[in-house]
Order: sequence, then C-alpha cells, then structure tokens
Amino acid sequence: MITVKHLKKTFGDLEVLKDINVEIKQKEVVVVIGPSGSGKSTFLRCLNLIESVTDGTVTIDGQEITDKKMDINKLRAEVGMVFQQFNLFPHKTVLQNITLPMITVRKWKKQDAEAKAMELLAKVGLQDKASVYPDSLSGGQKQRVAIARALGMEPKIMLFDEPTSALDPEMVGEVLEVMKQLAKEGMTMVVVTHEMGFAREVGDRVIFMDDGYVVEENEPIALFQNPQHERTKAFLSKVL
Amino acid sequence: MDFRFEIITEYMPFFLEGMMLTILLSVVGVLVGCILGFFIALGKMSPVLLIRFPFTWYINFLRGTPLLVQLFLFHYAVLPALLGDTTAVTSVIVTLSLNSSAYVAEIFRAGLQSIDKGQSEAAHSLGMNKFQVMRYVLLPQAFKRSIPPLGNEFIVLLKDSSLGAMIAAPELLYWGRAAASQYLRVWEPYLMVALIYLVLTLSLTYLLNYLERRFDVK
Ligand SMILES: Nc1ncnc2c1ncn2[C@@H]1O[C@H](COP(=O)(O)OP(=O)(O)OP(=O)(O)O)[C@@H](O)[C@H]1O
Ligand SMILES: [Mg+2]
Repeated sequence: MITVKHLKKTFGDLEVLKDINVEIKQKEVVVVIGPSGSGKSTFLRCLNLIESVTDGTVTIDGQEITDKKMDINKLRAEVGMVFQQFNLFPHKTVLQNITLPMITVRKWKKQDAEAKAMELLAKVGLQDKASVYPDSLSGGQKQRVAIARALGMEPKIMLFDEPTSALDPEMVGEVLEVMKQLAKEGMTMVVVTHEMGFAREVGDRVIFMDDGYVVEENEPIALFQNPQHERTKAFLSKVL
Repeated sequence: MDFRFEIITEYMPFFLEGMMLTILLSVVGVLVGCILGFFIALGKMSPVLLIRFPFTWYINFLRGTPLLVQLFLFHYAVLPALLGDTTAVTSVIVTLSLNSSAYVAEIFRAGLQSIDKGQSEAAHSLGMNKFQVMRYVLLPQAFKRSIPPLGNEFIVLLKDSSLGAMIAAPELLYWGRAAASQYLRVWEPYLMVALIYLVLTLSLTYLLNYLERRFDVK
C-alpha cells in the first residue's frame, strides 16, 4: 500500500531523514517509535507531502506521490492525518469542522455531508457536541473530533502523529479506544506514539527510528523483548 | 473672555456639511484601503522576491512619508498628470485610500501570519487547495483578529482626513478655518470642530467595540 524508497529530507544543512526504506501493507497498523528529534514527525509528514521530499520516492496505492506531476490535493484527501495539537478550526462548530472538507474537497451536498458527519460523531461518541465550538471541548474530545474529521474524507490511510501526547492522562484512553476500533475495522494506519501498550496490543509492526534512519523493525513483542541493536535497547530501557 | 456662540450657530450647517464629507472621505478611504490592502498583503507575502519587492516598497513609501506630503504630491502632481485635472475631494479620497491600503495591508499580513501553522497544515492534509485554505480557514480567523487594529486605522484615517483642508476640500476642518478667518476668532470654531471630531471618533469606538463582541462567536 505504501512503499518508501531511499527517502531523504533536509532542512537547509540539517539532514533529518537520511535513507528511509519502508513497506506498509494494506490494513497494517505500523507504530513508529524513537527518541525526540529522530525524524518521526518529518517521516509522517512526508507521507502526505505536508513536507516536501528532498530525495527518494514514496508510492501510495501504486501512485508515486513524489512525482512532480502528481495532484497533491487529491492525494492528501486519500491520506488522513491526525496531529498532536488537534488543529481543529476554532471558528467552525464541531459539525462544520467535519463537513467543511467534505463539501469543499469532495463536493458533497450539505445535507449528505451533515448526515455522514453525524454518523462519524456517533462513532467517536460525540453526537451531542455537533453544534458547539472546539474551544468548549476537552483535549480528548477535540482529538476524537479531529479523527472524525479526517475520516470524513474516507481516507485509505490514516497517519497519527503523537495523537495522545498533548492530553491529560485520563483522556488518553478514550482516544486510543477510537484508534483501536479503527484498526479493527481494517484501516491502514501509521502511528507515531509513546504508548507502548497500544503498540503491543494493536500494532502489527513497530519501526524504531533514530537519527534519520530506520534502525530496526519487527513485530511488537519480538522488538520489545528481543531488540537486536544497541540503540534500540538503550531507547527501550528508557521507555518500557 | 467672551465666547461668541452665534459664530457656532451661524456656521453649524456648514460644520454639519463638512462633517458629512469627513465621514464620506474616511469611509471610502477605509473601504478602498481594505480591498487594496488585502491584495497588497498577499503580494507582500509572496514567496517570490520579484513579486514581493514592489509591494514592500509601496508599503514603505506610503508608511514612511508624511500624509500631507503625499496629499500635495497627488493633488498637484500625480493626479493632474494622470487625469489632466483633479478636484480636492478626488485627491483626498485617492490619497487616503492608498495611504490606508498600506497600513491595512500590514494589519492583514500580521493577522494572517498570527494564525497557527497547524491550521493550514490540517486544512491541506484534508485535501483543500491553497484557495480553499485561504478562503475557509485562514481569512475568517485573520479577519476576526484584524478587527481591532482595523478599527484603529479607521479612527486615524478619520482624523487625518482633516489634512484635506490644506487643499481646500470642504470637510470639517475647512469650515472651521473659514469661520476663523471670517470672524478673526480662534476659540469658537476650533473648539467646535474638535468637539465634532471627538463625537465622531467616540461613536466609532463604541460601534467597533460592539462589532468586536458580535464577531466573537466563541
Ligand atoms: N520545518 C523545519 N525546519 C527546520 N528544522 C526542522 C523542521 N522540522 C523539523 N526540524 C528538525 O528536524 C529534526 C527532526 O524533527 P521531527 O519533528 O521529525 O522529530 P521527531 O522524531 O518527531 O521528534 P519528537 O519526538 O520531539 O516529536 C529535529 O532536529 C527538528 O529540529
Ligand atoms: Mg514529532
């Protein structure tokens, strides 16, 4: 579903991604872990071209998205992204947050978009919040709305960049619950997270990144219990 | 000192007429300034240096030179050269519009740049194109944040329109000067003119405060 070959990304002189090669299959849930500054966010952002790619190729569903002739807006609509800071639109109600891209990008009729948005809100357990503004929601609720908004585009892939890192501990569970549900339904997901419990329970594979490289990847249990590289061991001893 | 109220009563119709022109000049100035200012802000934010350059200097010139100098330049030189002829009112409107467009452009630019980068990233990640991101996500938020500084700009412009008196545009201060020179009195006409300006700017302040509350939907 996603094939990343020799991906490189530099910011000026700073080489953030050095040579990333990753293959992600349909319906797979891949968890990306690694120390701060190792390039996890940058990697994720390259997958829907929020960050331009310096070198290498990313192919999604047979289409090389790094090809200059590619229509990036169309691609991005197929790849949903959830951010650490939620990034809901504060001037729109919860319902409008979800329907805005459906109406402007997908060209849905307003009633159809609203009906679908209500379905999605029900799915994340927030149908009673449809008409409020994001400011009045808790962090966990905001993140669930952000997930519903991304799902409104009916993406083939969902990217999560530390979706629970900005949340109070008691709200982490409700967001992870929604993500587990998505995984169960067969969504292809790439998740950057420090939630090792989630990685173990839901992840099909864990990728450990350090210093712009994929150092090691394996099934969660195997990677956590039997890491092959010194750097992986050092990192895991700190977070497990 | 005796205060001759009859000067004020006699000139009241002219003061009111002048006040109407003052309002007209500043309303047109701020409206045209907003429209022009919006495009100038976009131009100045262009990533292409060659596009950015003229907008930067347009703003530099209009903000870095005295409004009165600009007024003389437009009234006596630029507009006669372009149109063959001009009236005082035309010159004031053109000068105020261009001058406020430079300030408004900076207000809009600051407003747009104050919006968190995550907003446009989220919108782009949903597949919205540049125009849609601008139209539905950035502009509404930037506009709301621009209301207080735009209000200030409006008030500044209203007061600055008094410079029109220097080229005999019959706005409020023009009639104050007319009364002063007819009666050789300074207190009555200028106090009255000041009072009318104060009423205008205070009303505007209240109106703007009301608008700020209205637009603050959250
Ligand atoms: N827009 C940018 N311009 C310059 N440098 C950047 C930019 N974005 C990221 N970087 C740098 O790239 C490196 C990798 O950043 P990235 O955000 O991908 O790391 P991360 O693994 O997600 O870290 P964290 O766990 O802290 O989120 C960091 O050194 C960061 O300072
Ligand atoms: Mg990160």
